Amino acid sequence: MIKDTLLILFALGGAPLLGGLIAGIDRRITARLQARFGPPILQPFYDVAKLFGKQMIVPNAWQVFCAYVYLVGAVLSVVLFFLQSDLLLIFFVQAVGAVFLVLGGMAVPSPYAQVGAQRELIQVLTYEPLLILVFVTIYSVTGSFKISAVYGHATPLLKELPLIFLVLTYALTIKLRKSPFDFSTSHHGHQEIVKGVLTEHSGPILGLIEIGHWYETVLILGLCALFWATSAAGMLLLVGITYFAELIVDNAMARMTWRWMLGYVWSVGLAMSIINIIWLYTK
Amino acid sequence: MPSLLLFMCIGVPLIAGVVCFSVRMAFVRTFTVLVTGAVLTAGALMLLGHGTFHYTPPAPWGGLINAAVSLADFALLGIMFQIARRHRHKLIMVLVALQALPLMFFELFLIDHKAPAAGFYGDNLSLIITLIVSIVGSLICVFALPYMQRHEDHQKPAHSRQPRFFFLLLAFLGAMNGLALSNDIVWLYFFFEVTTLCSFLLIGHDGTELAVQNALRALWMNALGGVAFVAGMIGVHQITGTTDIQQIVAAGPAAALLVPMALFCLAGFTKSAQVPFQSWLLGAMVAPTPVSALLHSSTMVKAGVYVIFRFAPVFAGTFFSQGLAIVGAFTFLVTIALALGQRNAKKILAYSTISNLGLIIACAGINTPTALTAGILLIIFHAVSKALLFLCVGTIEQEIGSRDIEDMRGLFAIKPRIAVITVIGIMTMLLPPFGVLISKWMAIEAASNNLPAVGMIAMGSALGFVVWGRWAGILMSASYKKGLTPEPMSAFTIGPLNVLAGGAVLFSLVLPWIYSLLVRPMLAFAPYQVSFGSLDSPIGGFTVIPIFIILALGFVAALKQAQKTRARHVAPMYMSGLHSGGPDDETFRGPMNRIVRIETGNYYLTRLFGEERLTFWVNNVAVALLVLMMGGAL
Repeated sequence: MIKDTLLILFALGGAPLLGGLIAGIDRRITARLQARFGPPILQPFYDVAKLFGKQMIVPNAWQVFCAYVYLVGAVLSVVLFFLQSDLLLIFFVQAVGAVFLVLGGMAVPSPYAQVGAQRELIQVLTYEPLLILVFVTIYSVTGSFKISAVYGHATPLLKELPLIFLVLTYALTIKLRKSPFDFSTSHHGHQEIVKGVLTEHSGPILGLIEIGHWYETVLILGLCALFWATSAAGMLLLVGITYFAELIVDNAMARMTWRWMLGYVWSVGLAMSIINIIWLYTK
Repeated sequence: MPSLLLFMCIGVPLIAGVVCFSVRMAFVRTFTVLVTGAVLTAGALMLLGHGTFHYTPPAPWGGLINAAVSLADFALLGIMFQIARRHRHKLIMVLVALQALPLMFFELFLIDHKAPAAGFYGDNLSLIITLIVSIVGSLICVFALPYMQRHEDHQKPAHSRQPRFFFLLLAFLGAMNGLALSNDIVWLYFFFEVTTLCSFLLIGHDGTELAVQNALRALWMNALGGVAFVAGMIGVHQITGTTDIQQIVAAGPAAALLVPMALFCLAGFTKSAQVPFQSWLLGAMVAPTPVSALLHSSTMVKAGVYVIFRFAPVFAGTFFSQGLAIVGAFTFLVTIALALGQRNAKKILAYSTISNLGLIIACAGINTPTALTAGILLIIFHAVSKALLFLCVGTIEQEIGSRDIEDMRGLFAIKPRIAVITVIGIMTMLLPPFGVLISKWMAIEAASNNLPAVGMIAMGSALGFVVWGRWAGILMSASYKKGLTPEPMSAFTIGPLNVLAGGAVLFSLVLPWIYSLLVRPMLAFAPYQVSFGSLDSPIGGFTVIPIFIILALGFVAALKQAQKTRARHVAPMYMSGLHSGGPDDETFRGPMNRIVRIETGNYYLTRLFGEERLTFWVNNVAVALLVLMMGGAL
């Protein structure tokens, strides 16, 4: 019980700190890759603090509601993750946040936010089946959908599910909205639809979304870490390498179209999943 | 005691229907529908309280009912033949003959008419169906009272067709309860055919050319199912020597029974509009919306899956069962993909209904206690949420005169009440902690050993996310308006909507108890342990109540924050600095200084998911899969 309480507290307090820090490091490394100096590591926290200091400006009340529910979904999914609960359950709770982010984007008939929201839906459509397949294959290795079973597994999942891990990194790239999958909104300055699904969000409301995004980052990196759950150093190493590879891809790739994303990710993702599953069966 | 309750559930609605038909006064009709609803609800609940029962009518009655049902069977087929003749529909004539002739042979030469009547049997599966029919069905009938009045004000027929309409609706409720509670396969067939005929007559209710054409299509497809049913019935009788459903189920699992079981499943497929038979259900959307809600989403189409669930133990563990799982999962995937290409709200709901029925059938095919639990929970929760959504669309259509979801853009600003209820309905279809999602979660975990099935379910579930997400988004997509006033609604409209919306939410809260009290007793072993309101198994766990409470608190907190929004917080949306500056937020200054209204639309991806693009391939693959599945039974 005490362990659970500590885990919940860590999920509530530690996860956003971790997520913000990762965002800071991300910006710093990205800047270096682009031969810039980059902001301080803590810049994301300064940004969010500033956002909360701003006057609240919204297009309507519904958007406020959506932003809060998005945050609740993101936080609850991270808490469930730290409590080592059911992977699919975590995913579906996370989907509450995902759908309310879209609804918040669609809250007003603003063309930029509307297009962004539609694209965000396509992003979800692209990664959702892949994530479910990742969880199903984890089940076929460990015999359970619970994260606790992953920790109970003797060898790192990566050994048996290398291609499934790659499938997960596709989902990670989409979820982090990094190139080539940054249609719905982007951290880069070259987004053709202003700020996409977040165009109409500002001030404290945007701050909430930002914090929610930190939680989501921790969740999805946590899922990556599960693939080397047998050692803490392995988890860190795996997440570190994966995230660095994300940054390289983000900086090296152009944004593609959603049709390309859906066709490419579904076909490559499904093919890799099937191949990996065949390996499992032949063992 | 069961005899009285059975009469309340089966006989009363039929009598009430006759009253509505013969007394053509609106207040009598209203009163009759309300009283019938109350009687049905009470009857179904008391039947549930009574528990599992087997009731055989005493000596002379059993035989008399048997004889009456047999005669009524032929009367029904006769009516169908007459309809086919009147419309010169040769195919239906052939299909009716293919039912009548074998049935005659069966009745005259094969059945032992001295055998004791199999009577009525109620276990939890049939009691769940009875509850859904009696409670959800009654609510829809109440909703239909003001709806049909407005419908006729709009259509202006020469003389009111409401008496006939309510006769069919109420008689249908009785037939559906009869179908769920019959223990004699011949009686089951009779009620199966009654629902087919009711469906035909109600689809054609408006009498337009399109309505008649679609009604005929529904009739021939369901008649095909009837042919399969008769063949299965005769086959099963030849093998087991009985028409008693409980004895037939007890005779399995047996390889010899697989062929008749496959025929029953085929009948179930036509009734539940699975691919390639989906077109009749889409055509059925021409009927007035209460018909769509009652027959074509929450109850009648469930008759098909009921039959499949009833016989599922007989084919457990066979190749046929696996084939069934794949065919169901395929339907789940392709019909939700077809829904993605649609902007007609009723068609979206129809496709989503077929899709969910496909998932239920996939669960029957996987045929483990976990999967069966998922399927039965989905039957319950889908019925409530989908009935609600159909009634919402009906209400919206009467308010704004369109069922195109693009026309519902910003509905919240004009009709806040119905918009919010519709969004709640959509959320209960899509998100945790609501029952439909929990059933889907269970289905995925149950399907995990069947990779083709689970892959298709995963993709279908993602497509569903887009279908529902964009619709909910559209409804609320409105610029800020100060002081919204809820639109007035008649008590018979808002009442059923509120009860269904409340039910969809609250039943999810008691899901662990629905599982342990209603579903668990049907299963060979308990797939889940219930503790602290959570479902738990070694394979996975869903903390239903804690998540419900936390999300509910989150919703309330979000609502409190949203309610703090004042006019001074509101700014017009971003439009590249080109706002026209008028009082309306939704215009900008275009070229030549013209005022242009912004227009936005959803993605429908018709190039990928359009009906005309997909249907051909879907039907072909579905036929191939059906052949594969049926071959597995041989």
